[in-house]
Amino acid sequence: MATDRTRAVLTVEGLRAYYQVNTFGIEREVRAVDDVSLHVNANEIYGLAGESSCGKSTLVKTIAAAIRPPLRVLAGSVTYRFGERRVSLYDLDEGELARIRWKHVSYIMQGSMSVLNPLRRVRSAFVDFAFRHIGKPMPEFTAMVEAHLKRLHLEPTVLDAYPHELSGGMRQRITIALATVCRPDFIAADEPTTALDVVVQKSVLAELRQAQRETDASVLFVTHDMAVHANLSDRLGIMYAGRLVEEGTTAEVFATPAHPYTAHLIASLPRIGDTQAREGLGGAPPSLADPPPGCRFHPRCPLAMDICRREVPEMAWIGDTHRVACFATKAETA
Amino acid sequence: MLKILRDLLRYNREFAAGVALLGFVILVAAASFFSPYPAADSFVVPPDMPPSWPHVLGTNSRGQDVFWQLSFAIRNTLLFGFSVAILSRVISLVVGLVAGYAGGMVDRVLMSINDSFIVIPLFPILVLFYFVMRERMSWAWLALAMAALGWAYDARLIRSVALSLRTREFTQTSIFSGMSMRQILVEEHLPYVLPIVFSTTMNNINWSIGLEVTLSVLGFTNVDTPTIGMMIYWANQHTAMVAGIWWWIAFPVALVVMTFIGLFLLAVSMNEYIDPRSRLARMGV
Repeated sequence: MATDRTRAVLTVEGLRAYYQVNTFGIEREVRAVDDVSLHVNANEIYGLAGESSCGKSTLVKTIAAAIRPPLRVLAGSVTYRFGERRVSLYDLDEGELARIRWKHVSYIMQGSMSVLNPLRRVRSAFVDFAFRHIGKPMPEFTAMVEAHLKRLHLEPTVLDAYPHELSGGMRQRITIALATVCRPDFIAADEPTTALDVVVQKSVLAELRQAQRETDASVLFVTHDMAVHANLSDRLGIMYAGRLVEEGTTAEVFATPAHPYTAHLIASLPRIGDTQAREGLGGAPPSLADPPPGCRFHPRCPLAMDICRREVPEMAWIGDTHRVACFATKAETA
Repeated sequence: MLKILRDLLRYNREFAAGVALLGFVILVAAASFFSPYPAADSFVVPPDMPPSWPHVLGTNSRGQDVFWQLSFAIRNTLLFGFSVAILSRVISLVVGLVAGYAGGMVDRVLMSINDSFIVIPLFPILVLFYFVMRERMSWAWLALAMAALGWAYDARLIRSVALSLRTREFTQTSIFSGMSMRQILVEEHLPYVLPIVFSTTMNNINWSIGLEVTLSVLGFTNVDTPTIGMMIYWANQHTAMVAGIWWWIAFPVALVVMTFIGLFLLAVSMNEYIDPRSRLARMGV
């Protein structure tokens, strides 16, 4: 299905994004994204997994240039390639950013069911968000929107509905249609299916998949739901406490998880025919305001060694497409 | 819109009563356009006649027909109330929405101005305003002054709603999609606060009419424009109650009370309409 999968649409290098708060003279810094490097290829769905408060949403916000104070990008770069044009996100001024957003990079927000203003018809959401980016007269724009909805198996009549008249799944699908109507090169989707039951989830995922194929877009897909990742993602990145700890094709990560955290994450999935209770991992993710030294996973890691408490493991390649940041794995393969 | 009105009339007795009362008051005000006598002329009819045909509400000691005077007075009073309400609504909408949305320093500056207006005692300031203006004092000046003083409470109310709206996903998406602050405030946030504004408008009209009557009765306004307060002022000047000309005072008071009650009922029913739970409970759905 892919044309050229090795040409990266998005390259993130050494990205650090912290929440910096200064309340009553006390400075606090939450290191939500710490030294993350990754790339997303053309026509690819890149999955991002990890438990809550590990920095997934922050990373997506940073990548979609949707950051607002107190979140700040301290270091690193986010580079997009649209066609032959290369764009470094944090070198742009506000006007250039505004032209890129929605048209080239769109963002399906967390809790995206409430993206639609409850007091206005769905049609006005399309007009408000997408009209200026398309730059066509209104009748043509309407025809385009209706054609787009039809491709995604939505009735054009939903345009005249108010959000409360639609079901949650419907609203979610409209949100996806809204994010893809300008045929963006890149879609950042932050947990778009979290509030839905599995049946609706399936149809929403199918729609996202179809919208992605229709528009040849690349998708960064975030959810903590590993089952969704197994179904949807081409490649998978695992985050823990603000860092990327493992990355590989979805098959590789599920078949041979290299990081102990990934291994536990996958082991927690139920399988048909199981008779034993699933083992959980003790403890909770560390506070990102005061993360442990060395490898951030070491307090919970069953394989923790001395070095893990002192030094931060680097991402190292263990296959053509598979890399991991773990001293224990490194010791094993070396 | 018509359907909403019909439902309100059918299911909400307060609304129906309010509409009826206010409708009657507006009819009286509209009658002023057909008055046989100019409003300012005096001694055009025999003075001090009790209510009887053709002077249904009697005539006053200045030789004016009380009914026609009343219709001029209520027209001016209503117009005054509406102008104050609309002007002050514009200020409170702008201040409230901008302060709530922009936050930070803008919010702090606007709200400190706002809070100053809340704590300022209005009545002495308006009296002072009259003494400064004296001869130049007119209906329009008073409306402007009261609009400039009467927006603060509602600006705070609107800001509280805007504070919450700014964190909603649709606002975030609007920002992300590149809508300007003006567009977000006018297109996304304004529909949210309009129902609240409608309801507070009624209260604001009541407040401004009440204050205008108070000022007029005490003679702190231009005494040549007929308003309800002015009628009572002249009646007092001519010691109407002592002379037994009760109709000169009773009818203006009755009409302004009807206006108050009508607006109050509309405000109450509007409040209830805004809250969907009480609306549905009333409709028995």
